[in-house]
Amino acid sequence: MKPTHSLLTITLAFTLTAVIWSCGTKEAPAPEDENELITTVRLTFTEDGTTTPLKFEWKDLDGDGGNAPTTSRITLKASRSYKVDVEFLDESKTPTDNITDEVREEGDEHLVVLTPTPSSLFTYTASDKDSRNFPIGLSGTVATGGINQGSLRVQLRHQPPVNGQPVKNGTVAPGSDDVNITFDVVVAP
Amino acid sequence: MKNSQRVVRLFIILFFIGLLDFNTVYAQNTADCDCFVKGVVKDRETNLPIVGAILTIKNTSKVTTTDTDGHYKFDRLCQGSYVLECKIIGYKTTRTTIALQHSAEENLNLSEDEVHLQDVEIVARRVTSLTQPSGSLQNQSLEQTRGQTLAEALQKIVGVTMLQTGASIAKPVIHGLHSNRILIINNGIRQEGQQWGSEHAPEIDPFIAKRLTVVKGAAGVRYGSDAIGGVILVEPAELPYTIGSIRGELNTVGFTNGRTGVLSGTLEGGLKKWKGFGWRLQGTLKNGGNIRTPDYFLANTGVREQNFSAAAGYRSVKLGAEVFYSQFHTNLGIFSGSHIGSTSDLLNVIQNGEPFIKADFNRAIERPNQLVDHDLLKIKAYRQFSGNRLSLTLGRQHNQRAEYDLHGPQAAVKPALLFRITTLTGDVVLEHKPIAKEITGQIGFSGLYQYNFTDGRPLIPDFEQSNAGAFVIERWIKQKWEWEAGLRYDMRWLQVYRFIGQTLDQRNHQFNSWSGTVGSVFNANSHLSIRANFGTGWRPPSVNELYSKGVHHGAAAYEEGNETLRPETAYNLMGNLEYTSECFRAEIGLYHNSIQNFIYLKPQPEPILTIRGAFPYFKYFQTNATFSGADVTTEWNITPRWEHTAKISYLRAYDQVANDYLVAIPANRVENGFRYKIGKVIHSHDSFVSIGHLWVDQQKRVPPNSDFMPPPSAYHLWSIQVGGDIILTEKQKITWGITGQNLFDTAYRDYLNRFRYYSLEQGRNFSVRLKWIF
Repeated sequence: MKPTHSLLTITLAFTLTAVIWSCGTKEAPAPEDENELITTVRLTFTEDGTTTPLKFEWKDLDGDGGNAPTTSRITLKASRSYKVDVEFLDESKTPTDNITDEVREEGDEHLVVLTPTPSSLFTYTASDKDSRNFPIGLSGTVATGGINQGSLRVQLRHQPPVNGQPVKNGTVAPGSDDVNITFDVVVAP
Repeated sequence: MKNSQRVVRLFIILFFIGLLDFNTVYAQNTADCDCFVKGVVKDRETNLPIVGAILTIKNTSKVTTTDTDGHYKFDRLCQGSYVLECKIIGYKTTRTTIALQHSAEENLNLSEDEVHLQDVEIVARRVTSLTQPSGSLQNQSLEQTRGQTLAEALQKIVGVTMLQTGASIAKPVIHGLHSNRILIINNGIRQEGQQWGSEHAPEIDPFIAKRLTVVKGAAGVRYGSDAIGGVILVEPAELPYTIGSIRGELNTVGFTNGRTGVLSGTLEGGLKKWKGFGWRLQGTLKNGGNIRTPDYFLANTGVREQNFSAAAGYRSVKLGAEVFYSQFHTNLGIFSGSHIGSTSDLLNVIQNGEPFIKADFNRAIERPNQLVDHDLLKIKAYRQFSGNRLSLTLGRQHNQRAEYDLHGPQAAVKPALLFRITTLTGDVVLEHKPIAKEITGQIGFSGLYQYNFTDGRPLIPDFEQSNAGAFVIERWIKQKWEWEAGLRYDMRWLQVYRFIGQTLDQRNHQFNSWSGTVGSVFNANSHLSIRANFGTGWRPPSVNELYSKGVHHGAAAYEEGNETLRPETAYNLMGNLEYTSECFRAEIGLYHNSIQNFIYLKPQPEPILTIRGAFPYFKYFQTNATFSGADVTTEWNITPRWEHTAKISYLRAYDQVANDYLVAIPANRVENGFRYKIGKVIHSHDSFVSIGHLWVDQQKRVPPNSDFMPPPSAYHLWSIQVGGDIILTEKQKITWGITGQNLFDTAYRDYLNRFRYYSLEQGRNFSVRLKWIF
């Protein structure tokens, strides 16, 4: 009786060990894949009456951390009017993932805000509207002031509905930042 | 009938008053020194008799030991009140007051045997440590926490607080340490999830537990590396091996705040034909909606939880085996107002003083949320042979944590972060038979192997980890002294599969170290015992501390690992004084935990510039830290009905290198409770009403400019509780309770809530508990 018992115990233990340990079939490690990485913000200014676009970019190709982002300085002419387009890109992917279209499609929960400092630098007026007639801000016009220099903050506000209720109201307050970067700006003669 | 009995009793009493002198003489001389006490000593868990337990009747010379069936007997005792002490190595010393008194009235009604004999069954509990301070929740104190999370329940133990992330996520904190620095032993298996994250709550259904125990301080020897702050033991009841029929219980809890409902049931039994076989099925459902603060609702703070467990086992005196399987599944909403993209978002909320997002009551759980699954399969077997006990425990756990962000359209179907960690554990422990009847102990080996996959946003890399350890603990009891000493050696291998761009960059680490413990208990007399313990433990740096990289959302910080980190070592000195008398009990515990190479996030001078603006930059560094404090508990039975309890916990944590305080340390607190035992009211037995008050001080010991806002002010909270038992039949009982928390709807914030920047804490919350035992 006794040997049978211990034999049973040992057999049971070994079988179960084998079962437990064999449960783990492992896969190979893979690099991270960030859902919605934005590496690049591109502003395209086209002066009224011209067809030559001026492109300015803020870039952080390796995402948060690592190498520091690079920024170009925006140079505009005083007392002119420009058509402006804002683009968001993920250049870490090949081919480049253009996130601008997604933002436009989901215009009801996004708002692009351009804030110059000092405010006399220029005025920005968005020309695109969402389904509830609030601005999206991906395209608009800029009217520059006199000779000056300062900075421009570009924010992409994500303002999704809360408990099914829309929160976007055309102001910057609701939601959170998907993008919040600053360019240096020179308004020259 | 009753009246006539009273008349008879009255006559008898009068008769004996008349013969008082004779009676006294008689009592002192012959018959009343014929009293005896007998009983059996059993293990509370296994119900098996304990052989060789030492029983003493305090203040007499009477000593005996239990025989092979666990029986003991004292005879030739005079009438009176005695303290019976039961001691055995490896078990907690119990003291039972027995009254060998018989009134003259009873003498006439009862047979002599019943009068003179008291049968005392002693159930001894196997201790985790004789000399290390611990606290536990069981029976009524555990009952009152039903429906709450594990961390909320454990807060009842002095010295234990919680670290919260909003209203839905809470982690236990022992003496100021949490996450990686404490271990949770769930049903004998070391819980392995992503415990490093402060917003990763333990994946455990507290309804599984019959008892929750917190071992305070470094307990590395028995439990292995990482247990440098303490250990939480979640212990289910023993399977019903001796029950032939089916029994069970059904718990329902309803909370007004969040309109949370909890339903939990247990069904268990044995088999008549198969003696020694037992089984149990258990399951819990929880559903809650938006939590309300005194001023507003917190959007998206609902919770859905579905858990179940099944266990079956066989036990005889010689051997036993048990299989346990549990599944935990939760969907936790994360407060919408806490989602920030940038530091300026955070500063705007703080400036606003309340969330920008207002909501009504709602049960829907939207993004951001966490979907967490935890599976555990455990197999345990033991064999007793010639006084030794050999046990083998195997476990397999799988933890999957999906964290959904509010960010980006793809996130609806794909989590921003997905962690999958699988852990295999194995332990072999030999509890040897007493050496020279005085020394007992155990020798054990434990192994662990785990692998982790992280998908989504870069945070921690994939890794593989193995651990091997061996330990020995010996205990020695000699009269008033109890000694304990232990030693352990652990080795850990860590392979990290990090990617730089698309290129794999494998890193290997190896850590190894000793842990030790030595402690003593001195039982000065039946009222006073003093214990002291010195323990060491170590903790290898975890993967997040070595390799994390990224913005910690919610904390508005960019955190970076440091691959040169070395293990932490804790040197923990604890002293405990316990005084017990008939109506007063006090326990004073002092501790000093010195942690060398304490790993912490050090603020860096330059912020990190990201697409979402500049974030404060933190990197993991090491320092020497000390955690010193005191836990005080008193229980005072003012009258047979009135009872007062007080708990004080004090903690001071200091960075010895920087000569400054440490951040995120729980504030000091004082808790007072008055309880009035009503007794029987209508059909409710053992009814009571209690009032509690908690005062939490402002944490003033913080380094300057270490936070986005100063630590919140001190607060007072009041609570009320009523409850009792309704006995239906011999086997059926309903235990009921009504609790009111934060009675005055106090608006407050807690320093250890990571969402203190965004919102107030929960407002008033009433709950109703019903438990039906059948």
